[in-house]
Amino acid sequence: MTRREQGPAGAAVVQSVLEEIERRCGAGVVSTDPADLSELGRDWTKVFAPAPCAIASPRTADDVSAILKVCDAAGVAVVPSGGRTGLAGGAVAKDGELVLSMSRMSAIGEIDVVGRTVRVEAGAVTQAVHERCAELGLTWPVDFASKGSSHVGGNIATNAGGIRVIRYGLTRNWVLGLEVALASGERLAMGQALEKNNTGVDLKQLFIGSEGTLGVITAATLKLTRLPADHDVMLFSLADLSAVIRLFRAAQEAPFQLGAFEFFTDRCLARVERHRKRTSPLSTNGTCFVVLEAERGPANEAWLADLFEKGLVLDGTMAQHASQAASLWELREGISESLSATGLPHKNDIALPIAKLEAFCADLERTLAERYPGWEVCLFGHIGDGNLHVNVMKPDDLEKEAFLARTHDVDRHMFELVKSYGGSISAEHGIGLLKKDWLGFSRSPAEIAAMRAIKRALDPNNTLNPGKIFDA
Amino acid sequence: MKILVALKRVADPDNANKVKIPGSGDRVDTTGLEWKPNPFDEYALEAALRLTENGQQPKTRAGEVVVVTFGPKETETTLRAALATGADKAIRVDATDDQLDGDLVARALKTLVEREKPDLVVMGKQAVDGDSNQVGQILAELLDWPQATFAATIEEEAAGSVLVGREVDGGVAKLRVKLPAVVTVDLRIVAGASVYSTKTARTFKYNEGVRFAALPAIMAAKKKPLTEVKLAELAADTKLKVTYAKFQAPPARKAGIKVKDVAELVDKLQKEAKVL
Repeated sequence: MTRREQGPAGAAVVQSVLEEIERRCGAGVVSTDPADLSELGRDWTKVFAPAPCAIASPRTADDVSAILKVCDAAGVAVVPSGGRTGLAGGAVAKDGELVLSMSRMSAIGEIDVVGRTVRVEAGAVTQAVHERCAELGLTWPVDFASKGSSHVGGNIATNAGGIRVIRYGLTRNWVLGLEVALASGERLAMGQALEKNNTGVDLKQLFIGSEGTLGVITAATLKLTRLPADHDVMLFSLADLSAVIRLFRAAQEAPFQLGAFEFFTDRCLARVERHRKRTSPLSTNGTCFVVLEAERGPANEAWLADLFEKGLVLDGTMAQHASQAASLWELREGISESLSATGLPHKNDIALPIAKLEAFCADLERTLAERYPGWEVCLFGHIGDGNLHVNVMKPDDLEKEAFLARTHDVDRHMFELVKSYGGSISAEHGIGLLKKDWLGFSRSPAEIAAMRAIKRALDPNNTLNPGKIFDA
Repeated sequence: MKILVALKRVADPDNANKVKIPGSGDRVDTTGLEWKPNPFDEYALEAALRLTENGQQPKTRAGEVVVVTFGPKETETTLRAALATGADKAIRVDATDDQLDGDLVARALKTLVEREKPDLVVMGKQAVDGDSNQVGQILAELLDWPQATFAATIEEEAAGSVLVGREVDGGVAKLRVKLPAVVTVDLRIVAGASVYSTKTARTFKYNEGVRFAALPAIMAAKKKPLTEVKLAELAADTKLKVTYAKFQAPPARKAGIKVKDVAELVDKLQKEAKVL
């Protein structure tokens, strides 16, 4: 039995740990302000009550090492924390853990324009990195709705996806080097600014997507690419999901580089309208919408004309300048926030083979309508990647507790369907706390055993983010 | 009804932090700025489109909207966008911003109005770059036409007039303006029930904001007429009345401070800011 399974550390232990941290790292590193505890103890999931014992905000990688060493020795669990925009509870501290907030370590180093790399500290905000790179005509193509808050360290620890995956792939593809502190306080500097470094096991890959369970990322060397040429941003309305899939095929065969292909339903849009007072600018609206982004080129308009001739879409528009493009994007990017602001969504993030999406969605609607009549389902997602965000909304007349009690059953029904269609129970949000009961629907016992062995090797006392992904 | 809409391309105010002034201070460096139509002029175009249609059937145009801009060749994208949104024809007066001031633009527009003979000229109340708020007023004076500025509502009337609502302190002033006339518009002109042609039922409500170009219209806009006119053709005297002496960035804001509690805040407000 590891030390962490004996439950949260006692108050006296915590007190001496906090004093030791301040002694080693200087005053002002630790906070036990109740406002900080409730704010920094959770992420965008709303279902867990935050209850950390304290917040530590290191200024340097040495501070991170010192904090981990002290906590590991005293048996105080540590939850690494970035911008806390995660949706699986990976950054939730609900059992008296110490939250290690990386916000103060946000330096963005000098950009190497020839090598197209930049070293940033883990707490650098994604959008700040984008803005710095854009000045030099470069970008780090990891992009999603929460980029204004999310940290690079969190992006990497969750191997974040987002709206550009269709063109650039996951975060994993854009990390050249990683600096990590282990639970023991020991530090690893892996990779660095080399595209090619074929020298044994690529250790940094272990930490990418590990959700803070194997080590704390303190800095990363990011791979950059050229800023794409101007984009045409289009919004289409379509009759149904099958038309969406046909439009996706047409977009794959189109004479342009596809930058994004995002789908949402009229129910999502209705929520955006309620919360943000924004609605579809189209005159004919179906049940499905697609935001499509294409690198601008002379052939784009002929392709569009052809779409209309074939009757693939009900209606559509193309942004005429950047602020129109931004307002079309707002319809899609405002969904997640609008769902939370207008109700209580039970969120799921699943992936399916794209050829099976339509059949799966029909099955899902049928299953939910039979078992949970009147429950609203809001579907949106990066449909080009086969990635669907399934949001089951709490009916207004159902108590929160009663709803949460039943969502577990909803998940079981849905994940059984996902499994039967050969999909994944978590496309890009990770496992965290929210999905750990279902890990077995997507990973075999042998795989999980291998993951446990790695966890034990790197974090023998189960200090780092215990209880996330699986119970060690 | 035939309407002339004056559109100006401005640097995107959302990117105001990219505005750079060279050491010499003789101009604003425009390289790297993103451009968009002046928002108030976009609202003017939306108002003009609403005045030349039945709101229930916006695809059938009932009237003519001519858009005009003053700018270099690349401002034609602004005009093409206006054509895609529903305007019928476009005119580009070839000029760069440093060759223009409000007075010269108004004089050149006067000649264009005499050529095009619109029933109504609609434009934004001001451009968000220079914020001069002059062109509409000067143009009305030069044409000796009635003017209504800062319009929040416009209703077309059967008897050859428009009823314009202007928001003033304590209420709305309504002006009945006989056509031909010049109207400059404010933000609220794009609210759902702000503009009605005689064809649109009063029960109809528009979507808030400006309309987007429908995809078939974007294609069709390629074939709509877009002509170029030389500035000298429109104004014999191209001398400027307003010249800029020097450009200077506003002083940078000082960093704020964090206070520990309300007591400290009150103390600072009393002793340092001296506002309490």
